[in-house]
Amino acid sequence: MEGVSLIELDDEQLRSRSWREGLSRRASFLMERFRALVVLVSFYYFWSALLKHRTTFVGYDRNQMITYVLGMNILRSLVFATRTEEIAGEINHGRLSGYLLKPVNFMLYTLFRDLSEKSINLVSAIIEVFGLILIFHVQLQWPQNAQTWLLFLASAVGATWLYFILSFMTGCWGFWTSESWGPRFLLELFLEFTAGAFFPLDVLPQLAQQIIKSFPSPYLVFFPLQIFLGKLNSTQIINGFLMQGFWIMAISGVARLVWIKGMRNYGAVGS
Amino acid sequence: MRYLRIWGRLAIMSFMVQAESFISSFGYLLGKLTRIGFFLFFLFSIFKHTDALVGYTLPEIALFFLTFNIVDILAQLFFRGIYGIRSLIREGDFDYFLIQPTNVLFRVVFHTVDFLDVVTMIPVFFITGYILRQIPGGISAVRLLEYGLLILNGMIIAFAIHIVVAGLAVLTQELENTIWIYRDLMTLGRFPSDIYDAPMRGILTFIVPVAVMVSFPAKAFLGKLDKVWLVQAFTMAMTSLVLSLQFWRFATRRYTSVSS
Repeated sequence: MEGVSLIELDDEQLRSRSWREGLSRRASFLMERFRALVVLVSFYYFWSALLKHRTTFVGYDRNQMITYVLGMNILRSLVFATRTEEIAGEINHGRLSGYLLKPVNFMLYTLFRDLSEKSINLVSAIIEVFGLILIFHVQLQWPQNAQTWLLFLASAVGATWLYFILSFMTGCWGFWTSESWGPRFLLELFLEFTAGAFFPLDVLPQLAQQIIKSFPSPYLVFFPLQIFLGKLNSTQIINGFLMQGFWIMAISGVARLVWIKGMRNYGAVGS
Repeated sequence: MRYLRIWGRLAIMSFMVQAESFISSFGYLLGKLTRIGFFLFFLFSIFKHTDALVGYTLPEIALFFLTFNIVDILAQLFFRGIYGIRSLIREGDFDYFLIQPTNVLFRVVFHTVDFLDVVTMIPVFFITGYILRQIPGGISAVRLLEYGLLILNGMIIAFAIHIVVAGLAVLTQELENTIWIYRDLMTLGRFPSDIYDAPMRGILTFIVPVAVMVSFPAKAFLGKLDKVWLVQAFTMAMTSLVLSLQFWRFATRRYTSVSS
């Protein structure tokens, strides 16, 4: 397979190649999963301690809060797992030229590379969550009907696409600087906190919630989990999808502009 | 004194490297400050809806979180060199250290100083000072001394863990990722160890002593740590330091060079 060029691979082959590539970076994959597990365990204990002597906290009972924490682990693995951080390096070292010379859509290539990363992490996250359910005898709050499942899945797909475009765009910073790592670290932290990837955003004061909800980040984790927990009525769900759709379109447009401008700026240094 | 001068030189060199990539360094610095700010804001928000968490008030819980940051950031600031041990070995720098007239462990541990952590420490110290004043009973000399000594104790344990990681890397030329396992486990100390159940608390006290490194100093300041634990904490630090140094000697004796 190593000698085969990208042109000869169909999507399925590309994904399976990326899977094997992902699994070959075992150390970093295991570290990533270990980190996710530590976050999961610490927040499980945190909320369990907080809800030990009370029935609800900011409208969440124990089962709902634990469901949020476990769902958060799964969605983080699906939405935030990415390899778009490699784009900046590919631009800086001129490896991008190799892709441009081939009849391959670079964005689609990175999308499938990301999907493989996401699927490996997702499988691992599901196993971790079921492991914790068995160890701690956790009771989850599952959606009441198939419609809620479908809406949750649709919002999770939207969230995955939204984060992919955002991170693809930040990868394109490599066109202008070889120092995109620091700003990317800052952006990822900001997105994770404001996405509700550590705690439900309802715990924050009203003003902070309103400010955060004017960003695209709540539609990455918080919105899908609110649907999963059945906390939104139909109007809120429609509004949520409209906002998610708006951000997808707006950021896609900006990402396209950034890519076009970046390509004009690209000097293929190092290739 | 000679070692202090060497450390100063190494620190200046590290600073120059970081200053060369200003945008990246600035982004990392802002990221680190944002993470601390967000977590403090999260704790503040939680206490808008409750008066206590496992019996601790907001300033007390904030003290645990800030103590975690102090130990974690100081360890990163001083022992950053361990993070790059694999490349030191692979590229032959480690062999070069072996023939220098300085202690090899010193050269490995201190060859990088993360100046971003120096800047991060400044607001952390200020906020901790403010929080300490908010705690009932105020700041007394004895409590402050116990707090400071236990933070130093936590640093000794962190140093011992870093030495073991370095030893593993020298022995295997791999496993430098072990340091990230330690870093991840450290984050369990963001909250007081009382939130964990008995088995988990036992693990965090005796096996991966995050509680000793982070929770003990805060508890000592709050007057909630038995003197027995104080003695136990110092014994653990000294034992782990001696054992880790023995392991380092064992590892370096078996090193046969891989790159030069």
